Amino acid sequence: MTSTTTASTDRPAVPRRPARKPRRPLRFRLSRIAAWAVLVLLMAGTLLPFYWILRTAFSTNSALFTGDQSVLPAEPTWVNFRRVLGLASPEEVRAAGGSGAELQFWLYLRNSVVFATLVTVGQVTCCAMAAYAFARLHWRGRDAVFYLFLSTLMVPPIFVLIPNFVLLSEVGLLDTFAGLAAPYFFMTPFMVFFLRQFFLGMSSELEDAARMDGAGHPRIFLRICVPVMAAPLTTAAILAYVMAWNEFMWPLVAGSDPSVRVLTVGLSAFRSGQPQAAPDWTGLMAATVLGALPVVLLFLAMGRRIVDSIRFTGLK
Amino acid sequence: MKLSWRRRIAVPMCAALLLVAACSGTGDGDKVTLDYWLWDDRQIPQYQECADAFTAQSGVEVKITQYAWEDYWSNLNTQFAARRAPDVFTDHLAFYPSFVQNQVILPINEYVERDNVDLGQYYPGLAELWVGQDGKRYGLPKDWDTIAMAYNSTMLAAAGLSREDVWNATWNPSDGGTFEDIIARLSVDENGVRGNEPGFDATKVAVYGLSFDNPSNSASGQTSWGNFARSLGFELLADGNPWGTDYQFDDPRLAQTLDWFARMVKAGYLTPLADLQGVGYVSLFEAGDVALTINGSWAISSFTGISGAEVGFAPLPTGPQGRWSIYNGLADAISANTAHRDEAWQWVKYLASAECQNVVGEKAVVFPAIPASLKIGEQVREQAGLDVSAYTTYLESQHTFLYPVTVNFDQVTQAVGAAVDEILLGNRPAAEALTAAQKQVDSIMGR
Amino acid sequence: MSERWQRVRHHPGAVAALFLLPAGFGFVVFYLWPAIRALWMSFTDYNVLRGSGDWVGLQNYQDLAADPLFWHSMRVTALYVVLNIGVQTALALAMAVMMDRLTRSALVRGVLVLPWLIPQVVVGLLWLWMLDPRLGVVNHLLDWVGIGGQDFFGSPAQVIPTLAGVNTWRFVGYTALLIFAGLQMIPRHLYEAAALDGAGEWRTFWRVTLPLLRPVLALVLVLSVVGSFQVFDLVQVATGGIGGQPGGPANSSLVIYVYIFRHAFNFNNAGYAAAMSAVLAVLLAAVTFFIMRGLRGSRSDLA
Repeated sequence: MTSTTTASTDRPAVPRRPARKPRRPLRFRLSRIAAWAVLVLLMAGTLLPFYWILRTAFSTNSALFTGDQSVLPAEPTWVNFRRVLGLASPEEVRAAGGSGAELQFWLYLRNSVVFATLVTVGQVTCCAMAAYAFARLHWRGRDAVFYLFLSTLMVPPIFVLIPNFVLLSEVGLLDTFAGLAAPYFFMTPFMVFFLRQFFLGMSSELEDAARMDGAGHPRIFLRICVPVMAAPLTTAAILAYVMAWNEFMWPLVAGSDPSVRVLTVGLSAFRSGQPQAAPDWTGLMAATVLGALPVVLLFLAMGRRIVDSIRFTGLK
Repeated sequence: MKLSWRRRIAVPMCAALLLVAACSGTGDGDKVTLDYWLWDDRQIPQYQECADAFTAQSGVEVKITQYAWEDYWSNLNTQFAARRAPDVFTDHLAFYPSFVQNQVILPINEYVERDNVDLGQYYPGLAELWVGQDGKRYGLPKDWDTIAMAYNSTMLAAAGLSREDVWNATWNPSDGGTFEDIIARLSVDENGVRGNEPGFDATKVAVYGLSFDNPSNSASGQTSWGNFARSLGFELLADGNPWGTDYQFDDPRLAQTLDWFARMVKAGYLTPLADLQGVGYVSLFEAGDVALTINGSWAISSFTGISGAEVGFAPLPTGPQGRWSIYNGLADAISANTAHRDEAWQWVKYLASAECQNVVGEKAVVFPAIPASLKIGEQVREQAGLDVSAYTTYLESQHTFLYPVTVNFDQVTQAVGAAVDEILLGNRPAAEALTAAQKQVDSIMGR
Repeated sequence: MSERWQRVRHHPGAVAALFLLPAGFGFVVFYLWPAIRALWMSFTDYNVLRGSGDWVGLQNYQDLAADPLFWHSMRVTALYVVLNIGVQTALALAMAVMMDRLTRSALVRGVLVLPWLIPQVVVGLLWLWMLDPRLGVVNHLLDWVGIGGQDFFGSPAQVIPTLAGVNTWRFVGYTALLIFAGLQMIPRHLYEAAALDGAGEWRTFWRVTLPLLRPVLALVLVLSVVGSFQVFDLVQVATGGIGGQPGGPANSSLVIYVYIFRHAFNFNNAGYAAAMSAVLAVLLAAVTFFIMRGLRGSRSDLA
């Protein structure tokens, strides 16, 4: 039964065994149709709010609440995207209900890429090694140490934020990429936990065979574990990248200088400047679209990679 | 082989170290650059203009950074924890007591005396707000605000009401005065029946007569019940403001006021609490779901910017004890951790000087603290056909009262905000909810 | 030298220590130390502005036990967690199985995970607007189909289910992705064997998929439970409306992290906030322990 091909409702049920009950394919087909219906519904529910994001991004602020809430954008315009990219003149910005804050979209984008890449490379490498130690090696106190690592997952982010901020301020690393990435570079409790759980599920046959051949742990880790775990490692990398991309509070306090300011922080200018006032809705939504586009593209590109890597590990 | 794998481990570590070395070097000369923070994005242009003029005069550079209100305070607190707060930042009365208490902002009274800053040049009362319990000064006023109302002129005319009707409105908590009549007439249900007509359906309202901010945001009731209660003679603090501790939320006059608001919700003349938990009263006004709103002078431009609607401004109604508005102002504070005290003071002094205040007046976003600068702003607004005298009338009649300046104000807000919510939801009578809240407030204030 | 190195190389503890070195460094500096500091803070009257605190012993813990709002916010949070986990985990599991058995299209996965790619603050604002009782598009739709408008964030009874719904929208695809990654670990030949035995999709799921998924399922459950207890940004942004106090109306959505954050930053009471966090951390550790034990999350049937 090979289900790796793209599914279709009339997939050829080639019975390898004539013993199979003849009734099955029909029932099977029906349940598949039902499953597809559910999936399509879920996808529609997921996507609807995105339509609203796009509609808002293409509307003008002044017309947003006045007219009827039609399906199409209110007074369609590109101006919000031009505002986000810093292409609109100050008069245009003010007319669109925008702020006086200066935006350097491409710089923030570069900074986000540097920050997220740095975090991903470091975190996945270091945590994979840790996961190997927690899942594939046998040593005294292993589970105790692992649960100690895990326990920091329960500490509220604000209590991690302030000491780390003070520390990096003391070593003079604020407003640098190194300082920005440091708390996520070596590990996060999430990533250690994630990779450890996947490393647990690895078959030990290959490992044993390699050990018989006299391979040391570093070799087993690099030559066996990493290739076999390619799929979860890719997933881990995507997760790390997206989480870093969307990080807000830490880059806000630790990287306020424009030279390291990331997109989430830069684009928060579209939230309300004043107390008790609504955000710049159209600018915020245009910023959201442009800010998320890189990770969406990355996700789609990497998604295919995952499938490939499964085929690769399929020989197992 | 044995070593090569170790090298592999070392790569990310070294990469991190290299980055440290590569990125941490930021060259700066001996020129002083001050960090200056504010939250209002609309005010960046005016202060940038002031900063440019200041740099030309003094040679001191100013780097302006803006953070949205929601992020501003938690970010500032964190910076204080590492003693890295900006040299100068825009301060608010709700937060400044704890800054004073913890000595993270600098007293400036000695500078003020040394440089003979004329405290009499500001609107009366504003300068006194920034004197701490210790008698030291922590800021110079830079702007001020009062509360009035914005109305949709078209809706007013459709209800057969004139501008004068709103300007001359009276209010009392028992029958609501002419103000209740006005908001009743402005309310329209889905069948087109007005609030003062028989058959008005309070559960299916198309246009509400009155709306305002979600009142849970401040224990002062700044943009909602506070000014109404004051017009009954209610005082928030029995032992004086600033720096009082004896709140009196259990005062029957406050309960009467809030019961009236709850009655208006029930009657369908005032937006119910649920509708205040969404995108806000300005958007409701824009959408034509609200005819009249209570709002602060800082929000004037939110209303004048609405396309296709004619907006007018009127002062709050006159209560039994007159027409009152809460009176609030901002100032600039100097962080105690600044390495450039003298330069920071020069900048603060410049921000509060007539020179910069005139720029603030000219841009007409907020009201500057110096009367002559406000005149400039009024001329600008007049040319744009905008009349904001609704906000300045209180000053002429001297019917302003100060925003509460006390310790633990946020905690008081949490307790009172929840009580007001319950009253407006119709879950509890005002007297009962407020008495319970007062008990909490007393324990918060250590009484 | 080389002989000693050989011995080190084969001593399990030494090998593990080497593998743990980089992560361990980050752990001690950026996680363990702040955690210990937070624990210390909970016995002081620590104040962020002052940057210091004096020892007060168990005072914060005594205050907390007598604080009705603390217990109220714990109850509110518990309700949110139950609603959130119940719906989200079941839905995510179904999604993941479909991602695995129905279609391997990267586009489908991309669509389902899309909400997770949007920053939480934007998600909160977006839904605040879409669910606005008068101006939101959702109520327009509900009116149109005849259900009638709802108050959502504006009603004390609906605000927690609404928050759970929005959070599910944002995270279900992500959770499904984690489970999907776990499903990929299950060797194909096991499915083939099950099919040869004549087992249907349903039976295969219960007999093959679920048992082999245990470590990953434990991971997902622990992460979801801990994450749900720590819900913050969404509530901070989406409740109370524009400009109102988060946690409303009338404290009906005052979840524990909003309350902790408020004490730490708004009330300048970080010591008390740390004490509340410590109590919560102990609770979360206990829940985690039970999940890991209950699902035998540290053991895989594959290994």
